[in-house]
Amino acid sequence: MKNRTYYSLKVLICVFLFVSVILPLIMLICNIHPQDIQKVFQAPQFFPMLVNSLVCTTSATIISISLALALAWCVNRSSMRYRSLFSMAFTLPMLIPSISHGMGLVFLFGDNGLITNFLGININLYGYTGIIMGSILYAFPMAFLMLNDVFRYEDYTTYEAASVLGLSKAQQFLTITLPNLKRPLLSAVFATFTMIFTDYGVPLMVGGKTMTLPVYMYREVIGLLDFSKGAIIGVILLIPALIAFWLDLKNENATGSSTIIRSYQIKPNKKRDRIAYIFCVTIVCLISLPILSFVALSFVEHYPIDLSFSFSNVQKAFALGIGSYFMNSLAIAFATALIGLCFTYMSAYITARGKRNLANISIHLISMISLAIPGIVLGLGYVLTFRGSAIYGTFALLIMVNITHFFASPYLLAYNSLSNFNEKMEDVSVTLGIGKWRMLMDVYLPSTKATIIEMFSYMFVNAMVTISAVSFLANFRNMPLALMIPQFDSQSLIEATAFISVLILFVNGMMKLVVYGMKRKLTNQ
Amino acid sequence: MEVLKEHIKLQVKDLYKDFDGKTVLNQLSFDVREGEFLSVLGPSGCGKTTLLRILIGLETQSGGSVLLDGEDISTRKPHERDMGIIFQNYALFPNMSVLENVEYALKLRADLKPNSRKIAEQTLDQIGMHDQLDKRPNQLSGGQQQRVAIARTLALNPKIILLDEPISALDVSMREVMKKELKEIQKKFNSTMIFITHEQEEAFYLSDRIMVMSEGNIEQLDTPKNIYDHPANQYIKDFVIAHLDQKLQSLLHCTGRSLYEK
Repeated sequence: MKNRTYYSLKVLICVFLFVSVILPLIMLICNIHPQDIQKVFQAPQFFPMLVNSLVCTTSATIISISLALALAWCVNRSSMRYRSLFSMAFTLPMLIPSISHGMGLVFLFGDNGLITNFLGININLYGYTGIIMGSILYAFPMAFLMLNDVFRYEDYTTYEAASVLGLSKAQQFLTITLPNLKRPLLSAVFATFTMIFTDYGVPLMVGGKTMTLPVYMYREVIGLLDFSKGAIIGVILLIPALIAFWLDLKNENATGSSTIIRSYQIKPNKKRDRIAYIFCVTIVCLISLPILSFVALSFVEHYPIDLSFSFSNVQKAFALGIGSYFMNSLAIAFATALIGLCFTYMSAYITARGKRNLANISIHLISMISLAIPGIVLGLGYVLTFRGSAIYGTFALLIMVNITHFFASPYLLAYNSLSNFNEKMEDVSVTLGIGKWRMLMDVYLPSTKATIIEMFSYMFVNAMVTISAVSFLANFRNMPLALMIPQFDSQSLIEATAFISVLILFVNGMMKLVVYGMKRKLTNQ
Repeated sequence: MEVLKEHIKLQVKDLYKDFDGKTVLNQLSFDVREGEFLSVLGPSGCGKTTLLRILIGLETQSGGSVLLDGEDISTRKPHERDMGIIFQNYALFPNMSVLENVEYALKLRADLKPNSRKIAEQTLDQIGMHDQLDKRPNQLSGGQQQRVAIARTLALNPKIILLDEPISALDVSMREVMKKELKEIQKKFNSTMIFITHEQEEAFYLSDRIMVMSEGNIEQLDTPKNIYDHPANQYIKDFVIAHLDQKLQSLLHCTGRSLYEK
């Protein structure tokens, strides 16, 4: 009956995934001129750039992971107060663009920064220091989320068995916690590395003379319209992501069905709790410093001369046309979240509840591939694929690139939650004469409301903060707000960039609050 | 003979199935009579579940045919076969109440829609779930969930009900209760049931006839008494008779009696 809708949507998704994921990758490779490869690699600035990228990314990754590990431990293995509040606070930096983290550091530690001016401390921000600091701010929340889950879903019975056998705490950590952590830790390391390695926002703001690969790519493409050289760098940026993808794929089958028999029991220990608490409070303070600096800069009369409270910067920002870019961002984010939700959920429904045939396996695989493509590379692929077509330069293309860029995570959320249903559900519905479409509308959708809300907010928030995939595709008619930060920065309109960050943080914060409220209501029902 | 006069409900002829060249069902032929409770007994991997899935159309046979009331239904879609199926893990719709679970499929059928609420309530009443109508599946015990699943199938008034190890997931004491209830339900609704199990006692307790299978073949198809008294071959002796005797003996052992002591 309505099964025709199901199958036409399935065809649509196959076509969409091919055009939006595979085609841009092919076009990217096809647009590389062989003679440029030599030019790029032999250019005198190439090797230093590569070193800069590797040094900054490696150090920022190590620190981010260590920090995330420590915080996840505090939240899950101590009984300090406000644990859930802390977890929320740690993910706060995810609600602003990477470029804002760079700006925040400039406001604090730059030549004219708050801390530099008022405390007289100059940390020589521009260069490695700034890039590493900004990258940590940008990347550690995601690492925290990934590791938090591992700690949270650990089975306590193995620990009980270990204590009965007389293993010390240290031995338990080495023999149980670490092996449990190994795989997710590896995933987190690669995800963090890729995220930092491919980001141009932070180094663009605080890199100074230190050039990294993504900044070079950004400048080649935006400034010089050299797509071939851009594509070569793009392929280099793709490498760590592909390694991560390959590792994840290899690990996927190895992940045993670890059932939690008993959740971790935290023994009382006042000293441990106090240390954890102080550590977490310190980190929250450090995270909120840049955010406070945005607010401060947005609402003072004229920094650093007149520090009285005023709306004049806000008024000025709106006079610069921030309002219309803000509307662009909202429209793009809503459309991305809504259409993306339909696409990702439908794809997950097909792969999680359908048969394991070639089409379904392809949908699953392409969804996972989309996870491996850095936004900036995807964006360039889109330029090369859609240049000259009617869709180029439209909102539709921005929405499409965002959906593709953020496809994998919500897809996996839906996939996991749909996989949890009884495996015989389809057999039952088929024999009762209930079609696939009906099952989707009447059983699966109503049963997975919490997941749907989570998926929607993930895509909305990310579409609000992204500067990567959209950067080459936006023009002055449809430019999202986050991309105005480098624009205003280059015109020395510092206060306006601060206000943009505040605005984005506010909208995303509201979204998170609404989501939190809705999910609470759902669990109470 | 009296048995021959009974109406033959389901007729399976030369049913054959292979997966990638490996034979799973080897030319099975048997009949099921109206109102009969037939158990298909065999160890895991003997093809009994595949047989069940082919009967209802979830799987396609490689050869042979299935006739229901003399009509060939081999190529019909599952929901056009007038059969119902019950699985081990209930597979209830988690977002619907007990009543909605039973009523949902009825509402989708034009002929049943006008009376869907009444049919659902009646069926649940007969099955002893009338005081749980508004509960969600996760608020019910395993046995109660299985009863809802049975009601959901019964409400559509299928000609045959297939049960795929429906009580294996329940704990031991509940299993005994459900066994009795299954028999009562079958009598009350006068339904024809095909029951898949790997447990000899279940089959012997419930069945009018038992079909013992191994490696895609029918080893023996007869009443429990006949199988016990006249096992057809060594396989039946080992898999069925020896097992039952052992159970019985171990039970009697603790009371200090022997099996053949009257």
